[in-house]
Amino acid sequence: MKVLIIEDERSMALEMEAFLKRSFYICDLAFTARQGLEKMEESQYDFILLDLGLPDIDGLQLLQAARKNCPDASCIILSARGQLEDRIKGLDLGADDYLPKPFSLLELQSRMQAVARRKFGLREDTVPLGDFRVDLHKRLVFFEETEIELSRKEFDLLSYMLLHKNRPLTRMQLGEHIWGNFADDDYDSNYIDVHIKNIRKKLSAFSSVEWLQTLRSIGYKIKL
Amino acid sequence: MKLFTKLTLFITLSKLAIVVLFVLLLPFLVNTIAYQYNDFYLKEQKKKVLDVIAENGIDTYLQGEENYGGYTMLKEEYISLEPAGQIVLPDTIATLRRVVEEDTLTYRVLSHVFDYGGHRYVLEVGKTTATIGQYNRPLQKMALYVLIGLMVSTILIDLVYTRLLLRPLGIIIKNRLLHRRFPFRDNSPPIRTTTVDFRYLDESLVELMGKVREAFEKEREFTSNASHELMTPIGILQNKMENLMIDGELGEELQQKIMGMMKTLGRLKKIVHSLLLISRIENDQFSKSDSFRMQELVQEVMDELDHRLEEKNLRSGIRITAGVTLQHLNRDLIFQLVYNLVNNAIRYNKPGGSIAVYDQQAPGGLYRLTIADTGIGIPAAEQEAIFNRFKKVVKNENEGYGLGLSIVNTIAQYHGIGVEVVSEEGAGTEFTLVFPLEAT
Repeated sequence: MKVLIIEDERSMALEMEAFLKRSFYICDLAFTARQGLEKMEESQYDFILLDLGLPDIDGLQLLQAARKNCPDASCIILSARGQLEDRIKGLDLGADDYLPKPFSLLELQSRMQAVARRKFGLREDTVPLGDFRVDLHKRLVFFEETEIELSRKEFDLLSYMLLHKNRPLTRMQLGEHIWGNFADDDYDSNYIDVHIKNIRKKLSAFSSVEWLQTLRSIGYKIKL
Repeated sequence: MKLFTKLTLFITLSKLAIVVLFVLLLPFLVNTIAYQYNDFYLKEQKKKVLDVIAENGIDTYLQGEENYGGYTMLKEEYISLEPAGQIVLPDTIATLRRVVEEDTLTYRVLSHVFDYGGHRYVLEVGKTTATIGQYNRPLQKMALYVLIGLMVSTILIDLVYTRLLLRPLGIIIKNRLLHRRFPFRDNSPPIRTTTVDFRYLDESLVELMGKVREAFEKEREFTSNASHELMTPIGILQNKMENLMIDGELGEELQQKIMGMMKTLGRLKKIVHSLLLISRIENDQFSKSDSFRMQELVQEVMDELDHRLEEKNLRSGIRITAGVTLQHLNRDLIFQLVYNLVNNAIRYNKPGGSIAVYDQQAPGGLYRLTIADTGIGIPAAEQEAIFNRFKKVVKNENEGYGLGLSIVNTIAQYHGIGVEVVSEEGAGTEFTLVFPLEAT
């Protein structure tokens, strides 16, 4: 997957690149809108991550150019303005998703995957997880042919960890993904643990859940 | 009362007062004038008589008699001549009774003493008082009609002119003040008037509103810029830390340190988010046009917070009237408002306690929503300050950064929702939202 990152904050662009490279994305960087336009004309991309607050050309204008030059690319808008009008305008102009700054890199990647899933249609999207299978599209977990019932939040949590498998995830990161802006500032609380406990209880009735590891005083990790 | 109404009333009443005064004075005035004119007439008559006597000689009238008396048939006027002996009198005019052919009548009489041919005579010229006042009534009537006619026409002219004069003021009020919605973006052209005061008023209003709008736009711009300027560095830090966390080479100790940093950064992010939210609400950036069912909204809040109830082992009782629909509100903000209150009810609760959310249709159509807990309560001394920004209600390191209730307060004020707090230390707290009439 080829990604074009158009972001005038160099260090942020570099962090995004470093993160995405680990997941085997190929990244091109553009620090100005002009550079971005040039890159778009030179090659095709699967993803364009576009900062709206660029100094040289209005971000929304650039988005229109991107739609024209790279019609196959999925555009995700990154904006620090975070106002509803921007968001609506961006999505109206054909952006596939909108991520307000500051965002978590984990969140960015899961949005990209969700966009890709939407884009490539209704194909079966089942991922193995130990002895279980997770259907990301239909949001179901199976053990052999038995469907295991998880609550909406439990499924969100499990699929998020699965998406970022083999990475330590802090309780805060998990909380922010699931509760978004409503994530509490009470970070020492272990309310995430309640959900993990429930997931473990429901799944371990069928088979071992050793892959779901607790990292002492940090958080959790799915190790596969 | 409107200025035009006041002026109309003043003009009409003042003219009416003048008419009444005139009507009261009129008989006296007319009477005085009639008497004055009559006295003048008597003097003229006297002169004519003396002229005639000087011309014809007094004997023509006396004809050997001592006196002379002449009167008209109806005895309305008389002239008499009598010898006067030795008295000396200046001319007098008085109202006297005289007997004329056995009739006693009241006359206005001019008495004049004069010498003629070695004798002294008294000349009396009289006119009945009844004839003096004979034109009074028609005169009064006429004067009254003319006066009323004049008054009505001046009132009409006054009203038409005042209306014309005040029209620019009406336009100023209509265009500049009535139904204007903050932040006054639409501005009509300056009002055309030759009245300097109105022009000044209009210009001042336009200038003032321009300043208000400018200040508002500046604040909005600042909010947007501050959001950008603060969020970008926070984002960079967050992403750097995330990349560090993923780096498998770090030991557990370092990972925990990074996590601590992320927590602190998360706090910073939360504070900035909250301040921006408050600022955006105060800047009028949310529409108030949603209508929604309260039951659904409360259920959503409870779903979001379910895990916290479970974690703290709290019981919850929800009792919301089915079918209550509120309108003219911003659903997202009301969600946040209820969420913050329920979240506090959970956070400041005691293990094994309970929370209750219930509503009530108060008399007068007001809708009340109460969120009650069995938590630690708020000391009476601190209840005043709980809505202040950055005021920590409970001194506990892990709990609260003082903005949750500020947001509650800001959202409530924005929608005109009243917030009542009843709290007993150690027993629990009850927040009641009183929704305005237009929301129900």
